[in-house]
Amino acid sequence: MGIKRYGVLLGALLLASGAALGAHHSFAAEFDANQPIQLRGTIAKVEWINPHTWIHLDVKKPDGSTERWMIEGGTPNTLLRRGLTKASLPEGTEILVDGYKAKNGTNRANGRDLTLTDGRKLFMGSSGTGAPRDGKDASEK
Amino acid sequence: MRDKNLVLFVALVSVLLGPSTLIAQNGSAGAPPAKPYTTPKTPWGEPDLQGTFSNRTITPFERPANVSGREFFTPEEVAAMEKAAASRNGDEGRNKGTRGDVERAYNDFWWDRGTKVTTLRTSMVVDPPDGKVPPLTEEARKRQADEAKRPAFRGAGANGRGTDSWLDRSTFERCITRGLPSAMSPTAYNNNYRITQSPGFVAIQIEMLGGTRVIPTDGRQHVSSSIRQWMGNSTGRWEGDTLVVETTNFTDKILYRGAAENLQLVERIKRVGPDEIEYRVTITDPTTFTRPWTLVIPYVNTGEDMFEYACHEGNYGMEGILSGAREEERKAAEAKKGSPQ
Repeated sequence: MGIKRYGVLLGALLLASGAALGAHHSFAAEFDANQPIQLRGTIAKVEWINPHTWIHLDVKKPDGSTERWMIEGGTPNTLLRRGLTKASLPEGTEILVDGYKAKNGTNRANGRDLTLTDGRKLFMGSSGTGAPRDGKDASEK
Repeated sequence: MRDKNLVLFVALVSVLLGPSTLIAQNGSAGAPPAKPYTTPKTPWGEPDLQGTFSNRTITPFERPANVSGREFFTPEEVAAMEKAAASRNGDEGRNKGTRGDVERAYNDFWWDRGTKVTTLRTSMVVDPPDGKVPPLTEEARKRQADEAKRPAFRGAGANGRGTDSWLDRSTFERCITRGLPSAMSPTAYNNNYRITQSPGFVAIQIEMLGGTRVIPTDGRQHVSSSIRQWMGNSTGRWEGDTLVVETTNFTDKILYRGAAENLQLVERIKRVGPDEIEYRVTITDPTTFTRPWTLVIPYVNTGEDMFEYACHEGNYGMEGILSGAREEERKAAEAKKGSPQ
């Protein structure tokens, strides 16, 4: 089988699986693709709830006041299986969030990427589980 | 494929994929089973299907066009698919544009679609033999045109028909159910199931959206046809080591590929090895499909825990979708007011 045929096969499979297939709800209806947003703040609490987790973030504004934001994340069941727990994101942790603003204009966004201040990225899945290095994963040693 | 080649093919693929696939292929690909598998029994003597299982797989639902006429993938194709799935799993998706970024909901860390085929089949649809869902009847196509007039959207996927009301969103977004057989079919995550048994009953707990099917195997009949339920009414019986479940009495409030209250399912669930169950479902609705059709989905033992779902508790998504639409309307009205006449 040539490279070209693989391409066709994989294309067909991607179509068959459908990139957005199976999410609990429509993200396109909830968040605005025209409003990418970057937020830096400290975690105030994590709602470890189905169908999706929500991370509450205190974001410091230029005038010194803080603003509370809510960031929508993945289903807790999947995150747990990937080795990420509620304890992985303790209160007070500073994170950087790349995401998209909610269409309803409130301080809500989806969590595209979450980056810790030391540069480690969460939820990228680029290698291993993507979960924080907490010593529990044998590959960290 | 000739028998000799087939044996070689299965042997090659088994090396590539490990033992669970070998088990999956016993009897179905024509390879001689090493040893006939004996289904364990419960203490009260019924076949024991109990355990926690996942049905996640990258096997296509319908057979892709470029493998038409073939029931099984080659080892090379499987290796390419699994490699692509594994790299997709780490895909940051930076090159899809912002719209694609939002529509796919997250980067791939959040998903749990799996990176393996759990069967060499080229499709979950095994009948008709072309691996495709049979065409809809004329009647079903006419019904589709009238869907918009119904009081509530009957779709069960991650979408809706509009944003005027929660009733315009799917039964999935409304935290009701994905319906049957969708709730028994793999999706993007939470593809986990727990089967437990007691004398005369089999219970299947479904992780996605929660809920447990309690299936009696004590010989009782279906409830009156006037009683209609989201998940229908299921009765079970044992045929040898296979649990056969017939489900009727579906409601007209949810669709499965165009089928609703006339849907009838026959599921055949059996162990094919210590770590794998074969789930087979035949879907019949003469008012919707031009012929009955059958899906086969492997359920692989995970030994993992199940987690509760409590969907309504955190369903901010529904509020976000509806209030987002109101905000967009308000902005549009404002822009109209502000623009010169």
